[in-house]
Amino acid sequence: MGGTSETISSTFIEYAIFIVLLPMLAFPIILFLGHIFNGNQTWVKSAKEGGLIALPIMVASFVLSMLLISEFIGKGTGAHHIGDWLSFGWMSADGMTINEKVFGVGIYIDHVTVMLLFVASFLCMLINIFSIGYMNTDPVNDNRNHRFYAEFVLFCSGMLGMVLADSFLWLFIFWELMGLCSYLLIGFYYEKPSAAYAAKKAFLTTRVGDVFLVIGLVMLWNLFDSLDYAVVFNEDLIAQVDPGQLQLALGMMFIGAVGKSAQFPLHVWLPDAMEGPTPVSALIHAATMVNAGLYLVARMFPFFGAPSMAGELVDLAFIIAAIGGITAVMAAAIAFVQDDLKKVLAYSTMSQLAYIFTGLGAALWLANTPGMEKYAIVAFGAALFHLFNHAMAKGMLFMASGSVIHEMHHAHHDLHHHDDHGDDHHDDHHDDHFDAQSMENMGGLASKMPITATAMLVGSASIMGLPLIGGFWSKEGIIANAWRVAREEPLFLFPAFCVLLGAAMTGFYMSRMWLKTFAGKPKTEVAANVHENTPWIPIPLVTLTFVSLSSVILAGMMFTHWSSDSSYAFFSEKGLIDGLIYEFEHIFLNSDAFFFVLTYFVIFIGAIVGPGLAMALYGGSLKDGEKSKPWMQPIINLSSRVNAKRGFDNSAWANSGLSDALKERLYFDKWYDAAMLKLVAGFANISAAFDKNVVDGTIKTIESTSQKLSTQVRRLTTGSARDYIMMAALGVLVIYLMLEVMI
Amino acid sequence: MSNQNELNMDMIETLGPEFTVFVGLLLIMIVPNLGNGTFRVPGTSIRLPWFLGGTRYKVVASPRLPGLLAVLTMAVALIQVIWYLCDSSAADGKVISSENGIEIFKVNMFSRIFEAIFFAALLLAAIASLDRLPTGSQKSDDIDVLFNNRRQADFYILMLTSALGMSVVALAQDMFVLFVGLELASFSTYVLVAFHKETRAGSEGGAKYFIVGSVASAVGLYGLSMLYLWAGSLQFDVLAAKWAADGATSLSMMALGFVLVGFAFKISAVPFHFAAPDAYSGANSPVAGVLATASKAMGMLGLMRVLLIITIPDSTADGSAVWIGLLGVLAAVTMTWGNIAALGSENPKRMLAYSSVAHAGYMLAALTAIGAWNWGLVDNAGDAMDVVVAALLFHMFVLVFFKLGAFLVLGVLEMEGGASRLSSLAGLGKREPLLAVAMFLFMISLAGVPPMAGFLSKLLVIMGIVEVATGTGSLSSIADAHWVWWLALLMVINSAISMFYYLRVGVVMYFHEPEEGRQGPLASGASIRIAIALCAIGTVAFGLVGGELIDMCRDAAESLR
Repeated sequence: MGGTSETISSTFIEYAIFIVLLPMLAFPIILFLGHIFNGNQTWVKSAKEGGLIALPIMVASFVLSMLLISEFIGKGTGAHHIGDWLSFGWMSADGMTINEKVFGVGIYIDHVTVMLLFVASFLCMLINIFSIGYMNTDPVNDNRNHRFYAEFVLFCSGMLGMVLADSFLWLFIFWELMGLCSYLLIGFYYEKPSAAYAAKKAFLTTRVGDVFLVIGLVMLWNLFDSLDYAVVFNEDLIAQVDPGQLQLALGMMFIGAVGKSAQFPLHVWLPDAMEGPTPVSALIHAATMVNAGLYLVARMFPFFGAPSMAGELVDLAFIIAAIGGITAVMAAAIAFVQDDLKKVLAYSTMSQLAYIFTGLGAALWLANTPGMEKYAIVAFGAALFHLFNHAMAKGMLFMASGSVIHEMHHAHHDLHHHDDHGDDHHDDHHDDHFDAQSMENMGGLASKMPITATAMLVGSASIMGLPLIGGFWSKEGIIANAWRVAREEPLFLFPAFCVLLGAAMTGFYMSRMWLKTFAGKPKTEVAANVHENTPWIPIPLVTLTFVSLSSVILAGMMFTHWSSDSSYAFFSEKGLIDGLIYEFEHIFLNSDAFFFVLTYFVIFIGAIVGPGLAMALYGGSLKDGEKSKPWMQPIINLSSRVNAKRGFDNSAWANSGLSDALKERLYFDKWYDAAMLKLVAGFANISAAFDKNVVDGTIKTIESTSQKLSTQVRRLTTGSARDYIMMAALGVLVIYLMLEVMI
Repeated sequence: MSNQNELNMDMIETLGPEFTVFVGLLLIMIVPNLGNGTFRVPGTSIRLPWFLGGTRYKVVASPRLPGLLAVLTMAVALIQVIWYLCDSSAADGKVISSENGIEIFKVNMFSRIFEAIFFAALLLAAIASLDRLPTGSQKSDDIDVLFNNRRQADFYILMLTSALGMSVVALAQDMFVLFVGLELASFSTYVLVAFHKETRAGSEGGAKYFIVGSVASAVGLYGLSMLYLWAGSLQFDVLAAKWAADGATSLSMMALGFVLVGFAFKISAVPFHFAAPDAYSGANSPVAGVLATASKAMGMLGLMRVLLIITIPDSTADGSAVWIGLLGVLAAVTMTWGNIAALGSENPKRMLAYSSVAHAGYMLAALTAIGAWNWGLVDNAGDAMDVVVAALLFHMFVLVFFKLGAFLVLGVLEMEGGASRLSSLAGLGKREPLLAVAMFLFMISLAGVPPMAGFLSKLLVIMGIVEVATGTGSLSSIADAHWVWWLALLMVINSAISMFYYLRVGVVMYFHEPEEGRQGPLASGASIRIAIALCAIGTVAFGLVGGELIDMCRDAAESLR
């Protein structure tokens, strides 16, 4: 299957397959053990319904991943061919030779793999820890959490397998495995109609993208006669390919990525996917599913970088960036009006992924344009760095929101079920429709849930891009590179403006979310009574808080460079301090006046304008006598002061048609439903009628006729031995006559 | 030629499996009768222990003992046969003759592979019967009667006798010896069918099977006597030489026709099949399974001996065998009749019986194609013939697994109280998921769905027929092909029809609610389940990796010539 580009000889890569196999083997074990010990107290208590089986597996996967990463980081690419999976041959047209094709199984590792492998394995492990705290006491799902953990590990193995695969074929197989698991997990509370609907919607929407992905892969196969990275990334082979066809194939594959990563116009599934348990949201949004689309686009980089393709694929690069730009603004706008804590995060995911797509689009454009290649590396690295930052922050945010929801549930439960003899002052909440996810029911939680509030604060800051924290470094890089392209190519002004606008909007809706949840006075009795009580949930929160805060160190380690360039050995050129000085200079004191102004403008709108507006609308001090941790108190005080002095009234636009439209998610779901009803259902009805009358009719006629015939034939079997002998005698006569004729 | 007069070691080595069966038979006869019986020396009062009769020992009185002995015997015999098949150089073509030089037995790959089919089927049936008869959970009196050591011994004695008869048929080099073996096996199966004599269906089915069977045997025997009249001998080589010299005369053709009738009953070809559905539904499921597999293979073996060895040297104007038209009609009618009758059958055992009639049609079609082996377009006639014979052997071999397996699943249901209606299978998918999966595998294998063994065997047969019909690719249009090509087409159409009733079993098992009073899992029956599992494994395994077996069948086909 052609030479693999083995640049370092390695021993550990041979065991890399276990990173995928361990969770995959854990899947049936947890499922069957859970089935056997269902409802058994021993199982529930001691193994946390499978959580404690999943955990060591995920830890092992993570440790193996780290070993692999430590071997490969900054050292180029590696490949390990494990074996042949399928081989088939056919005769060529002239009948002389036999074409033989082999689909292999193997591991492929480069800088992109290393980055995503870390993100996936690290977050899967943390989310597993979180799940043990979160799922175990979830009141709805007694006795079936083993199913959650089983599907969880399968999901993780899907993502890890996709990242490690050495061909687009295996990428697709694991991609679909994730699709299946997302369906199962989003619909985990399948008895809830909304959850069943959401699972179906996620599955079908991503399926639309997947159809195009398959088409793209088939086209790619046609061009290269292979889907192995080792073959398709070979520049000599790329040189023989028609650029137009390649662009079309990659475009089709990009539509698959659009579906998986929930970008406009296939974004409708992501908000509904919140119906799954919160760890699943964290898993889908941070560790696995949505990153798959980004990974697929990142994998296309070698095509754009190939010299023979120079200037040929810029259209696709623009489309990728533009889709990102549209989604970034649209999702951020919808997030303005959401009251559901998890829905805000869902739209925020959509918006941030759109940033990454814009960054990737810019990087691909730069790579494809002669003379700009040196910037492509930086832009590509910035996009991947944002993927990293976003994954860490979003994983943390979802787990923190899960923590809030979990404790809200508990508080609600305690208030209304263990406290029934108390006074009736909470009558207004005494219904089963209490929404533990609505921010309208929260407020003032900063003093009651300090760890969660801190995590949420750091995560929000990272997503907003507050200077020096997490996403700041990567977002600056994405915006700067989008504008770098825009200066060369006027078309790119559109995505460039979009991401700029998006930065301000992000600042607003993330601040709004935090303030509504944690600042101000408790809006309900329930919110006044929450407290943190399980040890499993804070572990991942604290861990991720530190990871997000330490992003500055990664920046200093020139993360943007080595995450995009295999040959970039970090530390070899500069030390950490030198790297930090370089990055600070680069960001804050850019020698190019344009970028200098741009940087400060982004900081201004993202960190001052957006949050300022949010404070004006939603700020407020805590209940009298309560204090939050010292690092949060100034923010709350500031918000309270800004709110008190606010000079504008938002009721006009809160009641405007735009606000309604945003609340209705810009009517996308309605349009899609209507289109489905008119087109698909109409076509389905016609097909059904054809099937029922023509196809079934024919078959039924054949069937009834043959049944009648069968009855007649069987009537000859009278049951009387006399008749049988007579028939046999007739047979003898016929045989005799036939043989006589033949002589 | 070996020394005919003594039962020397060479002969035991050559006929190893047969001796094993014989010894097993003796053991089943003797062992259950061992006891503390004594023998009084005449004229004295001295009593010598001679271990027969009296109070039987506890071990030998166990109702399970005869079954275990039979299973052991069949297993050892099967292993011996397989040993032989894998080591073809051992005694290939070894002949055992009578004192005056008449060849009686000939041991080669061809006969051994048939013995493998017979023994495999009987072994599986014996394993399944271990639980099938004495189920402890049964309450009805007529089953309690079966829970009896003597009765058990009878059952397995009959089984081993039929095994012995079948192996005689496989080895025979003389029509008369063959006939004796055939009757030995047949009589055992007649009794086995009626063994469940307490039920009406059992005794009635057995009686009908016996009556029609004896008529067919009588006709066959009459044909044999005419053959003797014509050739003066019933030795295969003498008959073949005579046929090559004289060709078809009025007498020889009449004899051939009558002999065919005898075998056509065994394979239940139309119109000699009528007793088969009655017999299958009246018999125990394992016994019915043996009828549908081993007994049918025995009939097929007889047909192959007669048609391929004795009469093949003759050829009509275009190089085909003289009987080709007759057999073609028989094949076409048999497969179509069987499938159409099975379509509406509501009794699963009768449905399987008709399905086995259809399978007989497929086999006859393959035989018909061999009859065209020498016609103009075939380049390497012997090769083409080997291909079809190998396909036929492979088909009969794998048929043991899925046909018998299907009967055994019904057997498990019978332990619960009958499997005479399709609705007895309803809800099996929920009640017994593994059993339902196995049944479904057997059904789709019978229908010929890849990757089951049934698909591979059907494919090989159809490909073999087409290969014979079209020669080796130098054909310009289908119209130029030999007409046996149409049999292949008819087989494909028939397979499509058969899909309906095979898949209906799946529908009933998975989509219909269980009948009233038939909820929950079935009675356990470990050994019958083991037999079903073996069948399922064979069904899947030979479909996926049938290469070795096909090669073996190919060797066997070559050894026929």
